[in-house]
Amino acid sequence: MDDDYYSIESILAENQKIQCTFKIDVPEMGHLDGGKAGDIKALSKVQIPLWLAYILVYSDYADFTIPPPFSARVRNALNAEPRSVRLSALVGQGGWWYGFGRMIMNLLNDVPAEELSGVLTKTFRARLPDVIDQAQHFASLHATSGTSAGDAGAAAFREGMDGTERELFQLAQDSARRTKAWYETSERGRR
Amino acid sequence: MALPPSLRTSITPPELELVASEQLVEIVPLVSMERTAFISGAYGPLRPPTKCKVPLWMASNLKLKKKCHIVPPSWLNVEFLQERLLRETTDPSFSEMPFRFAEVAKILLDVAPDDLQNPEKIRMLLKDIREARQAKSREGLSKLDHNELMLPNLCAMEINEIRPFFVRGMSVLTHLTREPAPVDPNAMEQM
Repeated sequence: MDDDYYSIESILAENQKIQCTFKIDVPEMGHLDGGKAGDIKALSKVQIPLWLAYILVYSDYADFTIPPPFSARVRNALNAEPRSVRLSALVGQGGWWYGFGRMIMNLLNDVPAEELSGVLTKTFRARLPDVIDQAQHFASLHATSGTSAGDAGAAAFREGMDGTERELFQLAQDSARRTKAWYETSERGRR
Repeated sequence: MALPPSLRTSITPPELELVASEQLVEIVPLVSMERTAFISGAYGPLRPPTKCKVPLWMASNLKLKKKCHIVPPSWLNVEFLQERLLRETTDPSFSEMPFRFAEVAKILLDVAPDDLQNPEKIRMLLKDIREARQAKSREGLSKLDHNELMLPNLCAMEINEIRPFFVRGMSVLTHLTREPAPVDPNAMEQM
């Protein structure tokens, strides 16, 4: 989720489509919408991926609306209980909700951008303890007893985790597992 | 060499144990040895029954060959640890523990339980202390900020365990937080 050109997470997060309204006529680019050829007229709505929309908005050729993953309905759900929202279901392809939100935030003006930033950080901070708790819990189980671990809520949370959260989960689980394994080994046999 | 993601920002517990083994401990040697030069320095002479300070790696080596007795460090006894445990459970901040207490304690409990008074109780106390501190670091996680983080009195093994996901979490928060200062759109800089 960096501005690194080669960052796979950025590439995947940017691949989501958003609704844009073109301000000018663009000849011969009607195929951007997928399918029909022809021109794009001014004030026509087209769904284009974010990496393309970025340039168009900066060059002032189009306007865009806040896409569904960040609509008011989602924000209300997050305000109520951040941990019960399934972030991976809101965006396609394995879910990079935070990365997508960050790109949108960079496109907005100050006031809505700060609002969106607040939503993102609050959600992240609220979900982080749960992510880490589950990771440490899983660090202590052996691979064989996987299914006995979850009650339905925990399993649902794990499925709803966004890509960034999944990375953090893996980091926490790895380091917890390694430390735990060290505590349990004894030197006596080895030396 | 490609390291797994969780090792890119931290080191493994056995490596920490190696570093901790450089610390000097007092021993009561049972054999004689002249002043010998090792890579890390010259130690000895060992003249039983006079006590001598040697590095922990040497002490545990001699102990396993039954050539010395180890004098436990001043903090590795029931009274001290009980007092620390009490402080740990009553204070919201971390109590002061020797920086590498986890590694030193584990080595001594493994090779020299007969030199410690009440090793089982010490093991239990150490486990309780560790769990109390883990609970506190989990609370600190929910206050994660992208600017700074202060967790005073945290010890080497604990720092190593939480470093990967704490650092990653902070960097995610840095990406998500938008400062009120105006952003130059041409620079495409994220805050």
